[in-house]
Amino acid sequence: MTAAPRVAAGPLAPVLAELARCFGRWRGWSVSSGDAAQAASGPAPPASVLAAPAAPAGFARDETFDRVAMRVHAAQRTANPVLRRYWDAASGSPLTWRDVPPVPAAAFRDTRICAGPAEAVFRTSGTSSGRERRGEHHVASLGLYRAAAQGAYRAALFDRAGTLCLIALVPAPGDAPDSSLGAMAGFVAEEPEVSSASWAFDPEQGVRPAVVRRAVARADAPVLLLATAFALVHLLDALGDSRLPLPPGSRVMETGGFKGRAARVDRRALYARLAQQLGIGQADVVNEYGMTELLSQSYDGVAGRAAPLEKRVHRFPPWVRVQALDPASLRRLPPGKAGLLSIFDLANAGSACPVLTEDLGVVDAGGGFRLRGRAAAAEARGCSLAAESFLRAVPPRSG
Amino acid sequence: MTAAARPHIDGWSWPPALDPPATTIALPAGGAIVRVPDMRRSAPDALQAALREAARALASTPVRDRIAVLGSAAESLADSLDARATESVAANAELSPPMTQAVLAEMAGAWTRASLSRLVAEEFPDPRVLDGFAPGRRRRVRARGPALVLHVGSGSVPGVTVTSILRAMLLGSAVLAKPGAGDVALAVRFAEVLKAARPDVAAALAVQYWPGGHEEWDAWERAALAAADQVVVYGSDAVVESVRARTPARVRLVEHGHRVGAAVVDPANSPRSAVSAARAVALADQRGCVSAHLFFVLAAPAETARWCEALAAELGRLARTLPPGAPAAGLASAVHQLRGRLALKAAAGEPVRVWSSAGVEWTVALAGIDDFAPVGGRTAWVVPATGRDACLAGLASLRGVLQSVGLAGVSPEEDDFADALFALGATRIVPLERMPFPAADWLHDGRRPLRELAVWGEAAGRGDSVRHLERTGLAVARDAGSRK
Repeated sequence: MTAAPRVAAGPLAPVLAELARCFGRWRGWSVSSGDAAQAASGPAPPASVLAAPAAPAGFARDETFDRVAMRVHAAQRTANPVLRRYWDAASGSPLTWRDVPPVPAAAFRDTRICAGPAEAVFRTSGTSSGRERRGEHHVASLGLYRAAAQGAYRAALFDRAGTLCLIALVPAPGDAPDSSLGAMAGFVAEEPEVSSASWAFDPEQGVRPAVVRRAVARADAPVLLLATAFALVHLLDALGDSRLPLPPGSRVMETGGFKGRAARVDRRALYARLAQQLGIGQADVVNEYGMTELLSQSYDGVAGRAAPLEKRVHRFPPWVRVQALDPASLRRLPPGKAGLLSIFDLANAGSACPVLTEDLGVVDAGGGFRLRGRAAAAEARGCSLAAESFLRAVPPRSG
Repeated sequence: MTAAARPHIDGWSWPPALDPPATTIALPAGGAIVRVPDMRRSAPDALQAALREAARALASTPVRDRIAVLGSAAESLADSLDARATESVAANAELSPPMTQAVLAEMAGAWTRASLSRLVAEEFPDPRVLDGFAPGRRRRVRARGPALVLHVGSGSVPGVTVTSILRAMLLGSAVLAKPGAGDVALAVRFAEVLKAARPDVAAALAVQYWPGGHEEWDAWERAALAAADQVVVYGSDAVVESVRARTPARVRLVEHGHRVGAAVVDPANSPRSAVSAARAVALADQRGCVSAHLFFVLAAPAETARWCEALAAELGRLARTLPPGAPAAGLASAVHQLRGRLALKAAAGEPVRVWSSAGVEWTVALAGIDDFAPVGGRTAWVVPATGRDACLAGLASLRGVLQSVGLAGVSPEEDDFADALFALGATRIVPLERMPFPAADWLHDGRRPLRELAVWGEAAGRGDSVRHLERTGLAVARDAGSRK
């Protein structure tokens, strides 16, 4: 299934390669605790610089995760003087991964956070109107990105799957080389179970319903539909009153939508429309939560047997930890309390592992989390202009 | 603040003659839960009819009497704000009680009888035009407010709605006021004070909160927009565009979009400029359109850094004497994102420095203009400038959103600096210490505060038709046309 990951160049190359090897062995969230213990105590590969567990399930043990996380942190400090100075200025010597000051997601907009050369640059979505800048994630190892993404999407989307026909309502990798979502869809297209791939999104014109109709008509196996929530809404709107039932066993991955600026997608309404117009049940639709600044993704279930919406919890693979922080003090909140999500992703070893998001969520005792949406900066304003409006309204400075 | 701790307040006050609505509902508004009549499936027919009827009586009252009644009510409102009432207003606005007190003390100064008299005198050199057609040089002129004005507020600065109500009622208009979510408590309180003092005048005022733009209230909101003769809207671009799109063309729309305030400081000529700057940043927790966000400092880098330190110290002092309200999650997030962004830029070797409180009470950022954004939360963005031209170049990019510019140690007359700032869109150029609180007659967003709201009429005087014919050459002497 997994080709040997390509080895990236740069000072962190051995770290990235070791993590890619490890992540590539992940087989999903259903690994037993016995397996996890064995993986954690098993011998590390001979070329180990991190003493990472032989299999990712070993990261389920907090001590193992912490040990590897702090070694990656030390390697990042050594390799990236910008991060070292940032962390030195922000705190003393962190003893655990929880103490490492997170890098705010907004910092990816104007500082190159990467030690050594980048194999790809992914950019955040959104307009470039006014002075608004898109975030840039300089990715040192596409092999590591692929290994991290693959482990999670195989577990969430390919469970008990035979052959699948991929229909992607996201840009093809060749059309938008700076889209991390497009790159992930490209990985999915290359999975052995995928017999055909139809790219039904044009970066200029958006969703192409005719391509979807043709792909469904030709499908000789269940469909795997990858889409943003907004693209799904556009597709369903374009279908109008007509139905386009997908073959039995089809599944949908939707992403984004909850943190839109002006418009939001009501997930419950969207899932009802998917059932009505595409014949896809709720259990066959899963939400992916990811961001350009993170190379790992989380899912809120396994397509085909996903829980009812109100019971769903997002989970990252075991090499990621999530904390909810008090919005004002950034102190860690106990499970069950809503706060800003701070995510420590070992797949970000080439850039910065701890990332402070602008999303609110509640973390449970098991490490899963429920999203509460975007922390909107404009929520308590008077008649003073909010930053987001300002950045869109004001032209960029020339020169 | 948790939902359980939110105070429950009334979010409406209707004219005394109207029957109380049958059902009410509770809605979150700012930091409070407000109880309002459930008008989601209703039309404002009875309300607008009552208001229009009352407007006729109000408009026939001499303007000096309107000034006296409205000014007295506003003075009574200010006097009635004891600790408990202030706490209620503060909780609704999500400001601290001391800050609420400071804001209201300044705002109330613009609502007194004396201030309203000055406002009317400044706007109407011949105030007789407000009571009837008054003779002009060439014609008779009359000014009055439209019969029914809808105020649509969307902010969280207490007092904005009361100011808007006073302006409209001074002109004899009846008002239906939808306060911003954080301005409900004070607006309702004013209506109640007026009702107790002069129910006949209060008959021309209704305050009703509803969540603007919410789909459940869309039918009511559209009906209210259509029922009005004039709509005054305060809000973000999205709010203004939404109201504009739903307001019929025959209804006059007066828009007050969100704005940014800046300042130009020469520390060498203004030793206390950091004190004024901190006040201009901190008051109303930087939520006002007149709040200062951006500072150009005319000084060398080391001196600019020292000025930032002084500003930081002063913001720290104000955080103790006028503490900020509990920060909303979004604001706190934005502040942390900004600080982290700038810290990384500094770590990358860029000339950036940040001074900040341990929490998110205040932040001073010394950085370039290219990265500036008005984050809020008492954040002062300081840009070193080599001279006035550099300031003007930096401010040029704010054209369209710039409103107030405060000056400290800088003359507005020298080199026509005020003219240059006005050309960039600044409509209020004032000493920095006066920046956070404009006078009653300030030119709000470049508009006359009362004249903008008035409908003007002209009427020919006796003999006008003859004079007109003479001017146009069409009048002829009685016998001019006779040919012999």
